Amino acid sequence: MELDQAHYHGWQGTLRSPWSACAAIVRVAIVQVLRNKAYWLVLGLGTLRFLAYWSIIYAVTQLTLPGDAHDRLLEAFGFSANSDVDQNNGYIMFMEGQNIVVMILLAFSGSLLVGADFRLKALPFYLSRRIDKRHYIVGKLLAISTVIALLTVVPALLLFLEYGMFTSSTEYWLANWRIVVSVLAFGAVLCIVNSILLVAIAAYLQRIVPITIAWASLFLLVGRLGSFLYRETDNAYWRLLDPWRDMRLVGRLCFGSFRDETDRTLAWWALAILTTLCAVALLALVHRVRAVDVVE
Amino acid sequence: MQIVDIHHVSRRFGSVQALRDVSLSLSAGTIGLVGNNGAGKSTLLKVLLGLLAPDAGGGTILGCDIRHGSRELRSRVGYMPEAAAIVPMLRGVEFVAFAGDLYGMPHRDAKRRAHEVLNYVGLGELRYRRLEEYSTGNLQRLKLAAALVHDPQLLLLDEPTNGLDPAGRAAMLELLEDLIAETGKSVFLCTHLLGDVERLCRQIVVLDRGTVARAGTMQEMRAEVNNRFELSWTGDAAVFRTTLTAAGVEFADPADQGQAKVMVVVPSGFSTGTFFELARASGTVLTHLKADEENLERLFFRVTLQDDTVPEPAQGQTLPAT
Repeated sequence: MELDQAHYHGWQGTLRSPWSACAAIVRVAIVQVLRNKAYWLVLGLGTLRFLAYWSIIYAVTQLTLPGDAHDRLLEAFGFSANSDVDQNNGYIMFMEGQNIVVMILLAFSGSLLVGADFRLKALPFYLSRRIDKRHYIVGKLLAISTVIALLTVVPALLLFLEYGMFTSSTEYWLANWRIVVSVLAFGAVLCIVNSILLVAIAAYLQRIVPITIAWASLFLLVGRLGSFLYRETDNAYWRLLDPWRDMRLVGRLCFGSFRDETDRTLAWWALAILTTLCAVALLALVHRVRAVDVVE
Repeated sequence: MQIVDIHHVSRRFGSVQALRDVSLSLSAGTIGLVGNNGAGKSTLLKVLLGLLAPDAGGGTILGCDIRHGSRELRSRVGYMPEAAAIVPMLRGVEFVAFAGDLYGMPHRDAKRRAHEVLNYVGLGELRYRRLEEYSTGNLQRLKLAAALVHDPQLLLLDEPTNGLDPAGRAAMLELLEDLIAETGKSVFLCTHLLGDVERLCRQIVVLDRGTVARAGTMQEMRAEVNNRFELSWTGDAAVFRTTLTAAGVEFADPADQGQAKVMVVVPSGFSTGTFFELARASGTVLTHLKADEENLERLFFRVTLQDDTVPEPAQGQTLPAT
């Protein structure tokens, strides 16, 4: 039977929980990022890093390398696939590196994913539907977290799978199960901290240039200031001013792999600082979203 | 069937009393909501959308308690905001389907439904365009489609013809007329363009400083002014004025003695023939006599400004900002 498209047709169905809308917000955010070709460069950079690590694992496990080339290759990339190696844990190195790519991507995409909702007055579009402010905030945090996870957690887990497949398979996976937990825990830290900070900053600043400046200031200038104060006073606690370093310290806490004893001591402080920072940012975000009038 | 039934609703924001003892009982159909800026329209729309609970009073909208049924209410109401409200980088069909997702529709249904409503509002050919490429008129249609996607019982349209050129405005009004006629949906139209309300709505709510200045059908409101006439005459004006006053006729603007045409308010039971009898008795000749056919603009000014001397606004004139 031919569909009559000229006339209005009703719809009868059951509406799902408003929390299901969070999945739609995540899906739309991914579409928005992928549609913007400028971000492909950054995504390509992240993919290249992943492929480099993939190739190293393939080379050291599958190819017969002459002399000590095997060790030198691993040393060049600072890579070890075993969880009991404190120094140069390959997964930490990989995720920390990917986080640089994530930081660049978020600095430029915050305006599109969150700022535009305020700038183009799209928030009434969301909040006049069946969802409320909680669903919107959770949806946006999940959307940013998904972008982060796709660049950090997912490839790290793929590397873990690859190493196992090319070596002793289940033996490697079972012996190093803690790596999976550590990757997920570090990924959760990256997702939570980055998403809350980005959504809060983008909700207030909205446009790409102010967001990028604020983002860079938070993660670069404050870090420089912390390093400067550390050099002048020789007090390692000043380095906790750097939220990026704090994330790396918490990451090492997740993996139980520290460069030195000072890092081990500072890691818990870093966790406390990040928790406070996120709580303040979340409160500011809730305040900002509550201030938006759905009907003007 | 009553779609809005609220009693003694009040809402205060700090020192501003946005709504003051508002009671409305409105039946299904098309309802125009008009009022000056700051009259409380936005606050009333928020109450109708279930976004705001009143400080005092209560009632139901579409059978949902306005204090506790906000989510249930929003699943039955479609809201078309005044602002652009677009999500960048999306295509038209994705935007409408996303609206369905946000209502809680299963994604497959939301996508199918998005195609249907976009065809209905006349955007079938443009559904795969990016939102940034839509004209203002098509963007308004798109927002209407997003409000219709979950097949709501009540549509709240906030300035649906705002920013449109005359042809776009006519096309939008035609679409809304068709929608109302074909679907029988109730529509709450909030606009500054009184001509739009006059064309589409059978019931009108006039808000003024947070209170309901008038609410009812257009016919009911016009019935209030059946006792108003516009007239002019030749002869001794002072004598004819005295004669009319003695007969119980009131002048709408007693201060102005020099107008060519005057507006008068007659007592009940006064027929048009009496004007001619009084004119003959006072030695004057009536040159113009016309019952006042008040349009919505004049009605609005009368009930909000309490001033009968305001000039006749032009067609499509907007309400004054306060």
